[in-house]
Amino acid sequence: MSAYAAMTRATYLAYVRDRTSVFFTFAFPLLFLVVFGLLFRGQTVNGGLAYINYIAPGVLAWGIGNAALFGVAFTLMHWRRDDLLRLVWRTPTPLPTVLASRYAVALGTGLVQAVLFTAVALLPVFGLHLAASWPAALPVLLLGVTAFVAVGLVVGGLANTPEAVAAIANCVMVPMAFLSGAFYPVDLMPGWLQAFSRVLPLRWFVDGVTDALAGRGGLLGPATDCLALAVFAGLFTLLAARTFRWSNRT
Amino acid sequence: MSSARSTPDAAGPPAPAVRLDGVSKSYGEVRALDDVSLTVRQGEFFGVLGPNGAGKSTLVEIMVGMRRPDAGTVSVLGGSPWPRDTALLRRIGVQTQSSAFFTRLTAGEHLATVAALYGLDRAAAGRALEQVDLADRARTRVDDLSGGQRQRLALATALIHRPDLIFLDEPTAALDPQARRSLWEVLRSLRGEGRTIVCTTHHLDEAEALCDRVAIVARGALLALDSPGSLVRSLAAPARLLVPADRLSVAQAEGLDGVDRVTVEGGEVVIETRAANRVLVAVGELVGIETVQTRTATLEDAYLRLTGSEQHG
Repeated sequence: MSAYAAMTRATYLAYVRDRTSVFFTFAFPLLFLVVFGLLFRGQTVNGGLAYINYIAPGVLAWGIGNAALFGVAFTLMHWRRDDLLRLVWRTPTPLPTVLASRYAVALGTGLVQAVLFTAVALLPVFGLHLAASWPAALPVLLLGVTAFVAVGLVVGGLANTPEAVAAIANCVMVPMAFLSGAFYPVDLMPGWLQAFSRVLPLRWFVDGVTDALAGRGGLLGPATDCLALAVFAGLFTLLAARTFRWSNRT
Repeated sequence: MSSARSTPDAAGPPAPAVRLDGVSKSYGEVRALDDVSLTVRQGEFFGVLGPNGAGKSTLVEIMVGMRRPDAGTVSVLGGSPWPRDTALLRRIGVQTQSSAFFTRLTAGEHLATVAALYGLDRAAAGRALEQVDLADRARTRVDDLSGGQRQRLALATALIHRPDLIFLDEPTAALDPQARRSLWEVLRSLRGEGRTIVCTTHHLDEAEALCDRVAIVARGALLALDSPGSLVRSLAAPARLLVPADRLSVAQAEGLDGVDRVTVEGGEVVIETRAANRVLVAVGELVGIETVQTRTATLEDAYLRLTGSEQHG
């Protein structure tokens, strides 16, 4: 087995054996979908799309980004705290191979989340309809996970304890969720807030999924969102390279 | 105390496994290592002894290239451990104090992952488990292993790629006596295979039982480097004779010729003497020779003397 395959397997097993964490990764976004979906059932945002076309992509992007960020940040913090990074350092396997294995698990998790979540939103009771452009959501998903994995690497590089990971990640994710239109249509926010939200990666992730699933903006819409996510992914990867540490003891 | 540095003779002995020359390391204001020079020979079981915070771990971390010394040169198996040299690391096995195990895996899965990181197949994992006598625990989650089993799994992790040079940082810390002895057997068999072992410990009996030579380190400085036997002899420490307190009074003992000091500990009269044979005969005449227990100086005495701690009977 290659080092990459072995590390991916080890990371996958560590992930699925933590049943509670797996359950909430999938159940938490679904809970929001059920609450908001039933609350605003059949309603349409003034001059825009049906409410479900905002809330389903919003909660979906938030749930996937949240899982990628928290998961990667916790893993990196644990690997460093338990001296597993030192163990890797002593082997001929390059660090990017090890990080790529965690990235693969994050991508797989995001894909399963997306399929499950979309299937529920398509139920008649919630009433989501997919536009023909829905496959454009796949590159958005890929780049969205990549961007939030990169943010997770930054958080995991800074935090030395699980408490610190949770504190920093929540501090990043909770305000961003509200300002990016994950729970509340961006089109209903004041103009200045809509403009400000463009500096947040989640805004582009939410927009990209919304555009693709609702067929908004043709293919140019999702393409622009993908470009923005790629820029965020690059920026946070550079930042992660600076915050990376092999050991907590310096 | 012998010279810390060895000079190759005309026949040209094999290159040393580890050679440190004038190595110093500070963390801010704290001087962790101060001008340490020593040589570890190929095939040697080399002990590093010292109190907590003496600089033992820093010494090992510098030898394996995890830290860079502020001054001095380090040579390991003929190469420099800094910067990271994967060809050299391939020949080195390291067991650190914090046992690094992959989260929520079984012992077998953990070792298979480590094997893959070294580019080895699964058989290497099985072999390493056998070597530390843990094959029956392959399917047990790492978190469910006992302290001794975890310690042995950490050793298997360090041995999986069959390194020539093995670094062990307090390998028997927190083990019960049986587990310690069984780990000693594993370590002895590694030494028997011709591998070089560098081992930090603060169990003096362990160093005495296993090590060919020991370096005693305190406050970042190398205080002594020799075989355990030579260190004990160079100490010229008094021997102790123990007699049940109801058989001999302190005054009687103090009256004997050649006695240095008499104390009472745990119901025993303890007689310290540098003329052990003469005093033993005299005490034997008073209480019967079979009731007398003798205690000769140990590495612990030498260690406590060197590291400046107060010596206790």
